[in-house]
Amino acid sequence: MLRNPLALLSMVWFVILVVSWLRPELLATHDPFQQDVSLQRLFEGPSSDHWLGTDGLGRDHYSRVIFGAGFAFRSVFIAMTIALGVGVPIGLFAGWRGGRVDRAIIWVNDVFFSLPIILLAMAVIIILSPSLTNAMIGVGIAMSTRFVRLTRGVTLAEKEELYVDAARITGISVPRILIRYIAPNLLSSLIVQAAIISGAVILIGATLSFLGIGASLDDPDWGVMLNRARPDFRREGIWQIVPSGGALVLTVLSFNLLGDAIRDSIGRDASSNALTVTKRASVTPASTEHLTDDDIVLSVRDMDVEFPSPNGPVSAILNGVSFEVRAGETLGVVGESGSGKSMTMLSALGLTPAPGRMTRGSVRFADEDVTNLTERDWLRLRGKEIGVIFQEPIAVLNPAMKVGAQIMEPLRIHLGMGKAEARKRAAELLAEVRVPDPERRLDQYPHEFSGGMAQRVGIAMALACEPKLLIADEPSTALDVTVQGQILDLLAEIQSRRNMAIILITHDLGVIAEAADRVLVMYGGQVMETGSAEDIFFRPKHPYTKALLDTMPQNHAGDGDLAVIAGIVPQPNAWPAGCRFAPRCVHATEACVSAIPPLLTVDADHVRCVRFDEPGFDLAHGGSTAEVSA
Amino acid sequence: MTEPSLLRSQAVDGPLLEVDDLHVQFAGRGRLFGTSPPPVRAVNGVSFSIAPERTFGLVGESGSGKSTIARAILQLVDIASGTIRLGGDDVTQVQRKDELKFRKNVQAVLQDPFSSLNQVHQTRTIVGDGITRHYGLKPGANRDERIGRLLDAVGLSREFIDRYPYEMSGGQRQRISIARALAVEPRLIIADEATSALDVSIQSQVINVLRQIQDDSGVSFLFIAHDLEVVKHVSHDLGVMYLGYLVEKGDANAIYDAPTHPYTEMLIASIPMPDPVVQAGRRELRQSFDNDAEPPSPANLPPGCPFENRCPVAMDICREVMPDPTPAHHGGDVRCHLHTSGPELAGESVVEFIKTKAESRMAGSQRSQDKSLTS
Repeated sequence: MLRNPLALLSMVWFVILVVSWLRPELLATHDPFQQDVSLQRLFEGPSSDHWLGTDGLGRDHYSRVIFGAGFAFRSVFIAMTIALGVGVPIGLFAGWRGGRVDRAIIWVNDVFFSLPIILLAMAVIIILSPSLTNAMIGVGIAMSTRFVRLTRGVTLAEKEELYVDAARITGISVPRILIRYIAPNLLSSLIVQAAIISGAVILIGATLSFLGIGASLDDPDWGVMLNRARPDFRREGIWQIVPSGGALVLTVLSFNLLGDAIRDSIGRDASSNALTVTKRASVTPASTEHLTDDDIVLSVRDMDVEFPSPNGPVSAILNGVSFEVRAGETLGVVGESGSGKSMTMLSALGLTPAPGRMTRGSVRFADEDVTNLTERDWLRLRGKEIGVIFQEPIAVLNPAMKVGAQIMEPLRIHLGMGKAEARKRAAELLAEVRVPDPERRLDQYPHEFSGGMAQRVGIAMALACEPKLLIADEPSTALDVTVQGQILDLLAEIQSRRNMAIILITHDLGVIAEAADRVLVMYGGQVMETGSAEDIFFRPKHPYTKALLDTMPQNHAGDGDLAVIAGIVPQPNAWPAGCRFAPRCVHATEACVSAIPPLLTVDADHVRCVRFDEPGFDLAHGGSTAEVSA
Repeated sequence: MTEPSLLRSQAVDGPLLEVDDLHVQFAGRGRLFGTSPPPVRAVNGVSFSIAPERTFGLVGESGSGKSTIARAILQLVDIASGTIRLGGDDVTQVQRKDELKFRKNVQAVLQDPFSSLNQVHQTRTIVGDGITRHYGLKPGANRDERIGRLLDAVGLSREFIDRYPYEMSGGQRQRISIARALAVEPRLIIADEATSALDVSIQSQVINVLRQIQDDSGVSFLFIAHDLEVVKHVSHDLGVMYLGYLVEKGDANAIYDAPTHPYTEMLIASIPMPDPVVQAGRRELRQSFDNDAEPPSPANLPPGCPFENRCPVAMDICREVMPDPTPAHHGGDVRCHLHTSGPELAGESVVEFIKTKAESRMAGSQRSQDKSLTS
């Protein structure tokens, strides 16, 4: 919030108002009620004595504005106490109960919601007596409807969260769940809403005073001041309405800006995850040369990706990543969450999420150096030469658009097809991914597709422009295991027909065993090992690969404890100094923790382990690498 | 009515949990005008029991109703019919005054390590609230000591008492969830996809913690997951769900080695093995099932067996009648017509039968291809 200059100014204004409310005498220069009996100094402009001039009775504008803050804040205090005190409990109750009770409460609430606020305020004044306090009671009741809606909406959503189930299972009573569990999660939205509504309350209070049914006509209330200036300002110039009007505008504005700033600071974490493309730094080509086989489709050499961290130096998310994939080949990429699998693929495609950037290395696609490609040129490649399928097929499809239209889009953009031609091709593509009855399916919406069928649509879209390379990021992880097999079969069938290169990112070594020809094992943003599928499974070179294999329940014989890899994947800002796997590795020695091991080349494959060529260091026959204990 | 014995915390002889002919239905989503659609039958006549100190594994794909069973036992959804007994006492509808006693006996570890912990609370509150609620121990040094011992039990250092959920990894959060369940010393813990969101290496850590706890405290588990490989490892007994039906149940290892229901065999064949040679064989087996058919909608179940349209060995009767449970070789039962009509496998393994059928079908299609070539 402090980095936002407008929010900072609002904060300063807010503090001035609070001081004016609590200790007006500290800031005021005159008695706000003191009139100029000499009648010499009426309707004055700003001067060194009266900073903001004087009104028609010679009273000091500046001091009246300062004292007016007290009226404004008292209005807010009364109205908001009632609005929150009435609205939040009703909202909590309605949201928790749901069903008929909820509908009844919301119905009544909507009736009140639709009444003009000033009408409600006037009704209270008529019943009680005209005063700003009574008016604000009415405003508070009116505003409580806003909080009923907000609270009820959040409660309806929160009560579906598992932590609420967990509390019920623990046996926590309902009032306590509402107050101790749900209400704190409501706080942020309430603060934001309250800030914005407070601004509105000040305006309404001023309006009522202006109309003469709020503060009494002598009070230094901003609305009253506007009222008193009204008959005079034609004659005496515009200045008369500036002090009170300006105070009102600034105050309402500052409340709204503060509300926005609070909301932004709460939503900060979520927004920084958004996938936005950043301009790349100019990349220094690494000394490592690309291989020059003709059938290499994508080649990445010595790639570093760094993220500036908010409190400290940059952290390297990826370090020295090198790999290549050839036509007709499936490269499996495996590693635990946080190992850098997906980041590697995003960065290779020029999609490093902001604020990260690729700071070293080079990328070649087919025969082209794409390291410093502009976003414009990338658009030519992505979706045409390179297809991508994702973990959550439903999330990628636009729910409001027919599936056919979504498949036709890349055909029309990249291949310039006409509508009829694109539709014909889309139907062929659906048939190719074995979606039954493709013509009819084109006119359906994504919600009419099961997870497996939606993933087939995702594959059809990725294949639409006959890409040379298909990147599949956990394509079967979100699917049922029986559907996973269908998707893997489909990918294999299409690959053999089209001689396409596939990069298959997965955490499941079983999927790797089924589908991959070659494997890239990643950990801590580095390549730990590359090799053929046979080598990885039968002759692993790196202890991490071996440990991953050992933890698979399928590889566990007997009833004892499962093998585990002790500890957790470290955060990028806390990589260990030497080998990143060393703290969890049962083979680690002093040499492992002193420096990052270099990526060594063995035949055509790589391994990053200082011990791998020690005599007698044989993982394939050396027993378990993972610990058998929790 | 006498005071239920389990709710008085006495030792249990016989099964700890008995679920008998459980049905759960959800109202179809009403339209703005017109009649509302028929209810979704989420759980259809499911019966099973769990003995003290045993783990019953429930496996099935999404939408099979396994989580609904958990929620029914936990009294988080209303059931349509059937009974649920805990230590011999009917707890199908726990009265308000007995709810706290019920909650003390049945706890849960839920799937999502992110949403199952309240982000605004520290471990001290997450785990301690149950202790305060059930033992009246107010926050303070005594309660902290108890929380510390629970953290020891789940393999976390005692510093975690001051941590918020967002300061922990997924595996650590699930350990906190386990500590929360353990805090009230329950007889039964329902683990609903408790390890599904975790990496394999971390999943193994959590599973080992669960097994250690069972050894130490004698708690029973209902372990629900979609990964048969994990469920088999954790469970003594196993139940396989398909579209609301419990199609097969019995000894976990015996079912895994020799399933009697074609769907169980399909599930096993679908699990990819981390070994390229073994997996090549499994893929072939899997492809003998692969006809790209979609399971029917739970809102519109067919009158017969819901697996019929995906089953490689379905018969005419399968389309018409849902088979009743019949005894199987693994000590449990199976709901499949193969055991009572047609080949009458009589509770024996279905593996060889499917293999033979698949081979003869392949040979048949080969013959018809040859024929079309010669003609």
